[in-house]
Amino acid sequence: MSQPTAADIENLIELFNRSDWDEMHLKTDGLEIFLSNDPQARGPSASVAAAPAASAAPVLAAPVPAAPAADAGAKGEINVPAGMVAVRAPNLGTFYRAPKPGAPAYVELGQAIDADTEVCLIEVMKLFTPVKSGVKGTVREICVADGHMIEFEQVLIIVEPAA
Amino acid sequence: MSIRRTLVANRGEIAVRIIRAAHALGIEAVQVVSAADRDSAAARMADRTLVIGPAQSKNSYLNARLIVHAAKASGCDALHPGYGFLSERAELAHLCDEHGITFVGPAAATIAALGDKLRARAIAEQAGVPLVPGTDQIASVAAAHSAATKLGYPVLIKAAAGGGGRGMFVARDADAITASFDKSSNEAQEAFGDGTLYMERYVENARHVEVQVVGDGKGRVVHYGERDCSVQRRYQKVIEEAPCAALPDQLRHQLHESAVKLLSALKYRNAGTVEFLYDVERQAIYFIEVNTRIQVEHPVSEQVTGCDLVQTQFRIAGGEQALARQDQIKVTRHAIECRINAEDGARNFMPCPGRITRWRPPSGAGIRVDSHCYDGYLVPPFYDSMIAKLIVTAHDRPAAVARLGEALANFEIEGLTSNLPLLRYIVAQEDFAANRLHTRWLEQSVLPAFQQANA
Repeated sequence: MSQPTAADIENLIELFNRSDWDEMHLKTDGLEIFLSNDPQARGPSASVAAAPAASAAPVLAAPVPAAPAADAGAKGEINVPAGMVAVRAPNLGTFYRAPKPGAPAYVELGQAIDADTEVCLIEVMKLFTPVKSGVKGTVREICVADGHMIEFEQVLIIVEPAA
Repeated sequence: MSIRRTLVANRGEIAVRIIRAAHALGIEAVQVVSAADRDSAAARMADRTLVIGPAQSKNSYLNARLIVHAAKASGCDALHPGYGFLSERAELAHLCDEHGITFVGPAAATIAALGDKLRARAIAEQAGVPLVPGTDQIASVAAAHSAATKLGYPVLIKAAAGGGGRGMFVARDADAITASFDKSSNEAQEAFGDGTLYMERYVENARHVEVQVVGDGKGRVVHYGERDCSVQRRYQKVIEEAPCAALPDQLRHQLHESAVKLLSALKYRNAGTVEFLYDVERQAIYFIEVNTRIQVEHPVSEQVTGCDLVQTQFRIAGGEQALARQDQIKVTRHAIECRINAEDGARNFMPCPGRITRWRPPSGAGIRVDSHCYDGYLVPPFYDSMIAKLIVTAHDRPAAVARLGEALANFEIEGLTSNLPLLRYIVAQEDFAANRLHTRWLEQSVLPAFQQANA
C-alpha cells in the first residue's frame, strides 16, 4: 500500500464524521490514525472503560423513562446502506424539496449530482438556507417528506457516490 | 393552567428543574438539545427531545430563531428560558410574542430596559431606590479632590464609557487622585475613545444581597425575602444563603421595600432578582442591577419560604391568579447553597470536564441536590462547569453550616476534579461559621492559603 496523501486522510475524517461510529483506529505501515467523538479519549482503548450506564437515572429524578422518545435521536434513525453517503441536516428546521411552492424539486430520484448541487432547502423562522450535496453521485433516496421538521444531523438524502 | 406544552430552552440542572416543575403542573415538556446533550438527563426526562444543532452554543442554545422554530414545530404554547444563554435577551421574548408563544419571564420591553445598566440606574433613582453615591463626569484633578471630599474616601474612579476595570482605580486620599487621575483618563481614552471619568463611593466592606421578587405584570409585586451571596470569586457566586443573617431588621425591611417599589413601578411580570450592595460600615444598601430571570441560587429562597418558584413562574405565565399575598410568604428557616463545579481550585480554577465514574451525592433531612449528573455522565467541555447545587436547610444559620459541612464531607464524585475540596475548606473557616463575610473575603482571606496548601 502506498503512503496515504493528505486528501486520503481528509476523506477518512469526513467518512468518520458522517458515520455513527464512536471511534476509528487505523494502523498501516508507518501510519496510525485514531479518531474519536469522545473529547476525553486519549487513544485506542484496550478495554471499554466506564461506558455510561444506559439506565442510570439523574440524581433526585424519579425513575425516568428508560429511553428517550423515538424521535430523540435523529442520527442513526435511518440506516445508510454500505457504500452510500448521507446528506445530513446542518441544524433543526423545516425541510423543503423545492425553492418555492409549485417550483420543480431541487433533485429527483436517480438524478446525477455534483458536490455543489443544491439538494433541498431548510427553513428556520422564514430564513431559507439551501443544502449542498457535498458528494458527486446519484440520488438514491429522499428520506424526508416535504414540509416536515428535521433535526440536526438527520439523514435527508442518500447519494450513491460516483465511482 | 392554560399552558399545555412548554419548550425548555436550556440545559444542565436547570433544564431538569424546569421539566420537573412542568410535569408537576401537568405541562408537557419539549427539550431542545445540542448534539453534545443527546444523552443528557433532561433529554431522557422530557416528553420529547429535539436535537437543534451542534455542540457550540452559538449554533444551538444561543440561536433564538432555531429555538422558537423548534417550539412552533413541536406545538409548544410556552417557552421557559432558564438562566444564562438567551434568558435575558429581549430578542427571545420578542420572538415568542411574535409567534404566539408564552414567554415564561418578563415582557421583552422590561428585559431591554433593565438590561441597559445606565437606564436601570435611572429607573431605580426615579423609584427612590438608593444608589451608590456618585458624581457626574469629573473634568479635572481639582474637581476630583472636591468631589471626593464630599463623598468621603475611599473613592472609586471609573471610566464613563467603559468596563472591565480599564481606567478604574481606588483612591484612599487626595494624593492618590493626583497621582492617578490623568493616567486613568488617558487609559480610558485609549481603551474606549473617551477619557471621561466619574466617581463613586468605594464600598470597602460590602456584602452582596439580593431580593427575590415575583410580579403579576399588572403592578402587584411580592418578595420572597433576601439572599446573601457574598462568597464570590471574580464576581462569580460560590456560596449563597437565605436569609442574610447579618442584616438588621430595619435595613432588611428597607431592602425588601426598595425591590418591590422598583419593580412595581415597571409593572414587572414573573420572577426577577434585585441586587444590592450592603455597606456594612455605613449600614446602607445600594442598588446594583435587576436580573430578569430565575437565578441559579433560587433554591435557597424556595427552601426558606416553602414556595416552588419555577412552578410559580409557570402559573404566572399561564395567567393563573397565583400571586401570593405578601403576608402568606414567611421566611422560617435558613438555607445555604454551594455550587459544585467541575474545576480545579488548586490549579487556578481550570475547568475539568470529563466522565463521572462515580456519583454519590449526600442525602438526608434538610439536604437537597439539584443536578443533571449520574454515574457514567460525560460532562461536556462546551458549557458552564457547574455540575450540581447542594442546598442544605436547617432552623438557623449555625445548624445549616453544620449540616453543610457534613453534606460536603459525604459528597463523592469520581472521574473528574471538582471544587469539593475548596468548598469543604471554605465551610470549615472560622469566619464562615461566624458569618464575618464580605465580597472579597474568599479571594483575600481564603484562596491564598488554600492554594498554598494544595500546591
